Amino acid sequence: MDNNRKMWESLGMNLEAHDMLCEVLPQAVGDVFLSQENRPECMDYYDMVVADIHGIRPAELIAHQEKGGKVFGTFCAYVPDEVIIAGGAIATGLCGGSQFWVPDGEKVLPTNTCPLIKASVGARLGRTCPFFRIADMYIGETTCDGKKKAWEILAEDVPVHVMELPQMKRRKNIDAWADEIRILKDVVEEQTGNKVTFDNLAASIEIVNNKRKALQRLYNCRKSKNIPISGTDTLVISQIAYYDDPVRFATMTNKLCDELEKRIEDGVSVFAEGTKRILITGTPMAIPNWKLHNIIETSGGAVVCEETCTGTRYFERLVDETQDTMEGQINALAERYMGINCACFTPNTARIDDILRLAKEYDVDGIIDVNLKFCGCFQTEKYFIERAVHEAGIPYLGIETDYTDSDAEQLRTRISAFIEMMG
Amino acid sequence: MSKIQNYVLFPNHDNAMRLYRELKKNGLKAAISPTPRSASVCCGVSLMVEEEDLEKIWQIAEEKEIEIVKIAAVERDYNPTRGRYC
Repeated sequence: MDNNRKMWESLGMNLEAHDMLCEVLPQAVGDVFLSQENRPECMDYYDMVVADIHGIRPAELIAHQEKGGKVFGTFCAYVPDEVIIAGGAIATGLCGGSQFWVPDGEKVLPTNTCPLIKASVGARLGRTCPFFRIADMYIGETTCDGKKKAWEILAEDVPVHVMELPQMKRRKNIDAWADEIRILKDVVEEQTGNKVTFDNLAASIEIVNNKRKALQRLYNCRKSKNIPISGTDTLVISQIAYYDDPVRFATMTNKLCDELEKRIEDGVSVFAEGTKRILITGTPMAIPNWKLHNIIETSGGAVVCEETCTGTRYFERLVDETQDTMEGQINALAERYMGINCACFTPNTARIDDILRLAKEYDVDGIIDVNLKFCGCFQTEKYFIERAVHEAGIPYLGIETDYTDSDAEQLRTRISAFIEMMG
Repeated sequence: MSKIQNYVLFPNHDNAMRLYRELKKNGLKAAISPTPRSASVCCGVSLMVEEEDLEKIWQIAEEKEIEIVKIAAVERDYNPTRGRYC
């Protein structure tokens, strides 16, 4: 794997610091994934991706650049990859999910910023993540105050284009998002030198929809009484979805689903009968944030669904493929993306509807609302979520956490008690 | 509980996945893992294999022209409730 080091060096990475991340990854992967029993055979693909997480995909991105292609880094489920792909570029997720990157973020950001933002900024400025080094341009968005200010800091170091995400969902807001998508199209065309046409946009809409369909199929498997795959394994698949090649990802995920559907037919479950079915709702869990799933699934619970940006918000609802003009395609993109229910919107009652619907669809025994520290929007919305879930008679646990390990034992105690209480 | 685990190391992931598929085809146990730092400083994909299969593994690699850098015996201690993450 000498090529990895050469590649990281050529990207100007801080190898000494990066080595510290390489040091802890094998143990964490072993504890969280390889210690699980009876995992699906087709997890081998995702195991490979994680095992060489800073090697395989970064090398592909660089190969694309060497052929004259561009790479756009994104941070949010609202950013339409379709436009980037239509311009012949690659979109790659950049959200930081490790405490490792937080101290470098804290050098320039207030401590009371959410860990996802601190880790994302730290990964770039600390030069310890190849994805952050490779991306030619970052596509930010105005989801929250922390991100808005972070883009300004990052823009001193790397080209950043910010999309203005509306904060309400009236007709004029959806139209405004369509305008932002048109501007993104212009930016992509300028950066790549390629035109976004009706035909290549139609092709990219189909590509991304196929990825969504594969994820929908995967999640449908988790609705089964016999759960054929752990929530922890599903989480890493959702995380990988953000930066893998979308066509290959859909192929591999459909292959996995073939195996899972066979498991369901054969009555195979990775959990003992009676394991409590948990729905997670809340803030995104960027790779390699596996803390909550690991704790829940080693404390008597099975995570069967995530109402998060690394869950249903990412793949529910497809973009309409029947449009016959580019204007129609852009409006269809705006409609689909504005249908995501993030706490940055006001009001956001549709998220409560989603949570209660998913609780029924996945036949859950309890809901754990997990929010990253200092994420004001999600933490405030917790007030409404908790009330609605209680009114629906579903056991509820609210958790506020970050990327550190320091609360792991305390969380285990609380989660174990919550699951035990369900009887 | 810790145990000594054999890790097969490769120059790249292509060789690792080729051997992985061959081992599966031959009914041998293998798991894909990040390379432990005590075995190599370069990260990347390695295969965790069984001690009793090592001779057969070398043989398959030779027959299929799969390049192995080395097989390293490393102490392994997986604990799903350790509460330590990346």
